[in-house]
Amino acid sequence: MSRRRSELPAFAALLPALLLILGPFLWLLMSSLKSEAEIGQANPFALPKAPMWQNYADAWQIGGFGDLLVNSLFNLAGVVLLTLITCAPAGYVFAKLKFPGREWVFYLVIIGLTIPVQAIVIPLYQVLFNLGLINSLAGITLAQVSNGIPFGIFLMRSFFAGVPDELVEAARIDGASHTQILGRVMLPLATPALQALVIISALSTWNDFFLPLVILISPEVQTLPLGLVRFASTYSTDFRLVFSGTVITFLPVIILYILTQRRFTEGLTQGALKG
Amino acid sequence: MATRLTTAARRGIARPKVAHRARRAGREALTSAIPLLLPALAIYALFSLLPIFLTFWLSFTDSRGLNTSASFVGLSNYGRAAADPIVWQSLVHTFQWLLGHLLMAGGLGLILALAVSRLRLTRVVFRTAFFLPHLVSLAVVGVIWANIYDPFYGLLNTALDRLGLGALSQGWLSDPLLVLFSVNVASSWQGFGLYMLLFIAGLQNIDHSLYEAAEIDGANGWQQLWYVTLPGLAEVMTFVVSLAMINGLKGFATVFVMTNGGPFYQSELITTYIYRLAFSMQDHGLAAVLCVLLSTLAIGITVVFNHWRGRLAR
Repeated sequence: MSRRRSELPAFAALLPALLLILGPFLWLLMSSLKSEAEIGQANPFALPKAPMWQNYADAWQIGGFGDLLVNSLFNLAGVVLLTLITCAPAGYVFAKLKFPGREWVFYLVIIGLTIPVQAIVIPLYQVLFNLGLINSLAGITLAQVSNGIPFGIFLMRSFFAGVPDELVEAARIDGASHTQILGRVMLPLATPALQALVIISALSTWNDFFLPLVILISPEVQTLPLGLVRFASTYSTDFRLVFSGTVITFLPVIILYILTQRRFTEGLTQGALKG
Repeated sequence: MATRLTTAARRGIARPKVAHRARRAGREALTSAIPLLLPALAIYALFSLLPIFLTFWLSFTDSRGLNTSASFVGLSNYGRAAADPIVWQSLVHTFQWLLGHLLMAGGLGLILALAVSRLRLTRVVFRTAFFLPHLVSLAVVGVIWANIYDPFYGLLNTALDRLGLGALSQGWLSDPLLVLFSVNVASSWQGFGLYMLLFIAGLQNIDHSLYEAAEIDGANGWQQLWYVTLPGLAEVMTFVVSLAMINGLKGFATVFVMTNGGPFYQSELITTYIYRLAFSMQDHGLAAVLCVLLSTLAIGITVVFNHWRGRLAR
């Protein structure tokens, strides 16, 4: 009874909060459909007289958003795939195999969990430079994968640690190798953890700015956030282009999120709490 | 005496066998572990571990960029860092930034989680909508909020004008006293959503019967919040606080995009100063000192909070 009574005040209090927090989005969407003259009137509450869809076409073409999108997608696919391939087996090893030096190796991995990427960027740049991987999507992908490996291993390890040892032992007695156990027994069980890892690594890659800023120098190889920042500073006085370009950058993720919000939320929360 | 001897003797016979078997099992495990670990460790060693050690080394050299010879200069970079007023400024700003992020993003996350958890019918709608800002890249957030703060066409000043509050309009990013706070608001707008989700998950784990018991005891809403909800959130709370502090420490993109540390270094953070020193001034030695400082702070925060969480768990 008392629970039902409490729904209305919370709802009434949250409505203005929602309007304030989503205000920037509404303003951007509205402004992105205005003409330059309408934006010049500086009235944020006025609706666009006739929606200028042309703004989007212009921004898309001038900003080269098609190429940026493709680069971002390649980058994302590479990081997610490599993260899964590297972290799932390593997490299994740290959870289920006892070998000499295990603690020592694990501590080395844990160090990377705490150190911010900005703190190692100078030698990282040098390593990538020596390998010819500056200004390349392969280079940025490897650096991001490496940056995410400690978290990925930690997440997979804590999931596999929860799987009973008997399952591994039974499969061992049946003569299965650890690679077979991982592929046939563990990975099918690990769907929630793998899902969490995919969501977390995908979101952080898609939104990464620091490493692309340092590593991706020419516009042809840049990803969406970096490309948008370059675009926005080049056309900073052309508000309609900046606004529509910005909407182009975040709209795909928001649509994808709304479509998958249940799984997305679950994966993100469980992943963060476990890792 | 005799029994003790026999046990010892028995152990003496048995032990080498057990130890031998354990060692063989360990070696076997190692041979299966290596191929499974190798992909992760190879990438990690090359692109994370090696740079960690090289950063430390760089802080003792006079390196001024790629392909230049660098020689060992002892602690001279550390001395230069201590004598550089911008280093101290950026350190103070980083602490202010971190604290502001914790209070604004963490606090908003907590309040909204408490409110959203009271909803039933519209809960998912609100939770989803409040999370939307977190999906936007911080760099893009920088572009958005630089426009919101635009003194003539921005959302903030024009809205204040239309609402008859024109007196409150400001140069949000040009006022040296206001700039760090203004940028932090943008970052916190992006950051609170994740903390809110974590708090909501924490609230779901609180035993419902505790509320019923509190109600029977005559506790009002505030008392329930204080004596049931907040203690029940303690574990998630320490996690969110440490996460928010680490995220605050890593803050870079919004500052870089919106102010690039200005005006007059008034929004310079350790991270933005590292970027400036390393990639436009080519002063790798001094930049590396700041990198070591940044890592030390991150490790310090993590250690303190793990200790705190360990004590809570007990």
